[in-house]
Amino acid sequence: MSEAESLVAQLVATFPALNGRVTVQRAKRVWIDVDRQVFPEVFRHLAKDLGFEVFCMITGLDEGADLGLIYHLARNDGLMANVKTRCPKGESMETITSIFPGGGIYERELIDLLGAHIEGLPEGSRYPLPDNWPKDEHPLLKDWKPREKGAQDA
Amino acid sequence: MPDKKRTVRVPIGPQHPALKEPESFMVDLQGEKITSVALRLGYNHRGIEKGCEERTYMQDLYLVERVCGICSHSHATAFVQAVEEIAGLEIPRRAKYIRTLIAELERVHSHLLWLGVAGHEIGFDTLLMYSWRDRELVMDLFAELTGNRVNYAMNTLGGVRRDIAAEQFPHILKIVDALEERTKYYIELAMTEETLAQRLSGVGRLSKEDAVRLGAVGPTARASGADRDTRRDDPYAAYDELEFRVITDDRCDVFGRAVVRLGELMQSYSLIRQILKQMPEGPIAVKAPLKIPAGEAVSRYEAPRGEDVHYVRANGTDKPERVKVRAPTLANTQSIAKMLEDGYLADLPIVVAAIDPCFSCTDRTIAVRGGRDSKTMGWEELVQYGVRWYRERGVDPSRIKVRGDESA
Amino acid sequence: MTVGSAVLNILVFPGFLFLVAFGLAGEFVDRKLYARLQNRQGPPWYQPLADFLKLLGKENVIPEGADRPTFRLAPVFALAAVVASIFYIPLGSTTSVLPFEGDLIVVLYLLVIPTVAFFLGGWTSRSVFATIGAFRAITQVFAYEIPLFVALLAPALLANTWSISGIAAYYAGHPWLWLVNLLGFGVALVSLLGKLEKVPFDTPEAETEIVAGSFIEYSGRRLAFFRLAIDCEAIVGASLVAAVFLPFGLGLTPVLGILVYVAKVLLILGILALLRTLFARLRIDQMVHFCWSVVAPIAFLQILINLVVRELI
Repeated sequence: MSEAESLVAQLVATFPALNGRVTVQRAKRVWIDVDRQVFPEVFRHLAKDLGFEVFCMITGLDEGADLGLIYHLARNDGLMANVKTRCPKGESMETITSIFPGGGIYERELIDLLGAHIEGLPEGSRYPLPDNWPKDEHPLLKDWKPREKGAQDA
Repeated sequence: MPDKKRTVRVPIGPQHPALKEPESFMVDLQGEKITSVALRLGYNHRGIEKGCEERTYMQDLYLVERVCGICSHSHATAFVQAVEEIAGLEIPRRAKYIRTLIAELERVHSHLLWLGVAGHEIGFDTLLMYSWRDRELVMDLFAELTGNRVNYAMNTLGGVRRDIAAEQFPHILKIVDALEERTKYYIELAMTEETLAQRLSGVGRLSKEDAVRLGAVGPTARASGADRDTRRDDPYAAYDELEFRVITDDRCDVFGRAVVRLGELMQSYSLIRQILKQMPEGPIAVKAPLKIPAGEAVSRYEAPRGEDVHYVRANGTDKPERVKVRAPTLANTQSIAKMLEDGYLADLPIVVAAIDPCFSCTDRTIAVRGGRDSKTMGWEELVQYGVRWYRERGVDPSRIKVRGDESA
Repeated sequence: MTVGSAVLNILVFPGFLFLVAFGLAGEFVDRKLYARLQNRQGPPWYQPLADFLKLLGKENVIPEGADRPTFRLAPVFALAAVVASIFYIPLGSTTSVLPFEGDLIVVLYLLVIPTVAFFLGGWTSRSVFATIGAFRAITQVFAYEIPLFVALLAPALLANTWSISGIAAYYAGHPWLWLVNLLGFGVALVSLLGKLEKVPFDTPEAETEIVAGSFIEYSGRRLAFFRLAIDCEAIVGASLVAAVFLPFGLGLTPVLGILVYVAKVLLILGILALLRTLFARLRIDQMVHFCWSVVAPIAFLQILINLVVRELI
């Protein structure tokens, strides 16, 4: 059994609800699709018990009514677990900074660029948009369009 | 004695000679000691991720290449690998070797650049002048092999754009030999020069636990004893067919980071020799479709500064649904505050430089708007202002072609 | 001394004109050598003069909240003190323009004034970078002045005089005795690096940390005069070291004597340029530690040697 397959078996054994929702894309890539409610548990289990100590990034996606979130984790042997979950726009996700203190910057990126709401994020300056950027504009949302040239002068 | 009144707040950035790109460190000092550091990033946000969604895959390739000036090949390769995985393209072996060759040459040029910057930050300009002179050899080699000194544009969907002729091999080997000789000299210098050791040893400490906890990558992590390297752990391109050592060090300070980079240079020379020796014959690219089938992929790439991570989601059209880029500097900036704890102001430049920061890669977004602040000027406005300023002073810049003048 | 010769002495030789010309030439030698040692082309010979003239034509800015008289006068004080001290140093012969018993002490104090001017200029600038630079400059004074004083005291002890001209005359009368003072010569060179704020002791103006230190708010004419004062200080410092530690070739014709003097100063400037090519900048605490634990003991050792030698001869 390869590393990826044994990971699938371990995960399904701990979280029966994940049966059929863990896919192996190739030898070093595993995708895990979890509901928002069980996400913190699965994430903590991966990071603390299964050795996924490298936190790569969070990808945020505009999926219409939901924000799609992918948390990319990796293990020292190169195996990568991509944990996908969805969060309805306007609702909030729990921060992961309690597990990965360096992860806050990716969450701030989600807040600025996609308008996500993150619960429990320590205070700090915004990233990456400037301080005078309007709070309600999030450039990575599909319905956001850059203004025409010269429009800002009006 | 901690005394609030004696604390001096020093702004390092957004514009400061120690920083080659805008970012801001608000440093609180007591005497020469740093008591706290507040970091603000984002000054280089250029909207590349949003831009990628509005361009075709082929256009994106060139846009992504411009995420970073130094590791342009890294970002382009990381992106193209993700797209190829979605499209199910198997690229020719020769293309993989050429990609790897350019990648290693890029590491050489980036690490030599770092060595010079590090020298400059501690006031050792002689090292800067020497290592940048040597770096010219690689830059010129790039111009010969790819047509450009930076932004080489070697990648294309399904392979590479240019072949490297066997007649060019001896020249590459000659340059590698010369650089190896120079690198050995720098290693000796680092090990024996007293003031260098005084300025680098014990400075910017980052324990292995902190490096792992805060998500450090690349040479920064390896100098803290974290044995990880994407080239070995999750091999891409031709790395699974090549032999190399992952250099680690447990000094956990700036000196360790220098040792790791110098060691990696030596490994890169050996890798380049292996690549030239084993370079397979065959085509350099396969035909790639314009429309990429729906799907998603994550690609990891060990850039000179650490791990690049690219995520691409395709929706069946010729434009991606989402491109997400994580540059190594973003991961490494999280450890800066830890490294500066109880440090000296004098050590701040070298500690920041030791992660080999590249803030442009880190930020990526905006340019489109001037903002609501009335003092901010858009590019066009700035051009017009400049033209007017000179006209008022009797200089006629009308012969100079500027973008703003075409409509006027 | 007639009024005419006094004016000539003050304005032309060895006063203002000579010192400024030599200072700019010295800056060129330093920069060119530094560049060649770093495998660079380096500036053309007129670059220091061109920089100076360019700065004269630039806008003068005084920061808001600065103490205007101090801010304005600091560069003038620095330059005046440096020019004044050249009259007590013998150049091509064994006598200076205005020799008197004790002029060594006067020159040493005059040469502290530029550093104090840097401190005052930085302090009144109201910029954090300038303030930090000013404090570093004054911290450094305590580190290198004592070794410098002690190193210059040793040859004076042997010559039994507090006059630079007297020292030069004594060693001219006792050829080869200057070899006893070689340790002190080394100490004086290191201290001179600190005085001139050059690598490895350039913390007060460390570009990558505090931008330009004390000088950050200075511009135009005032900056030009500060830079000129530093150039002249390099010449005066080197002349002092040459007069005390390299007292040979003094009994020649005036023209030949001046040529030998120029060669000595250029040699010292060359050594300084070489030293600043070789090292990285030390942190201020490392600099102070180095001066007190290495340089100062060597200076005291020189005193000990000279006391023994004095008993022997």
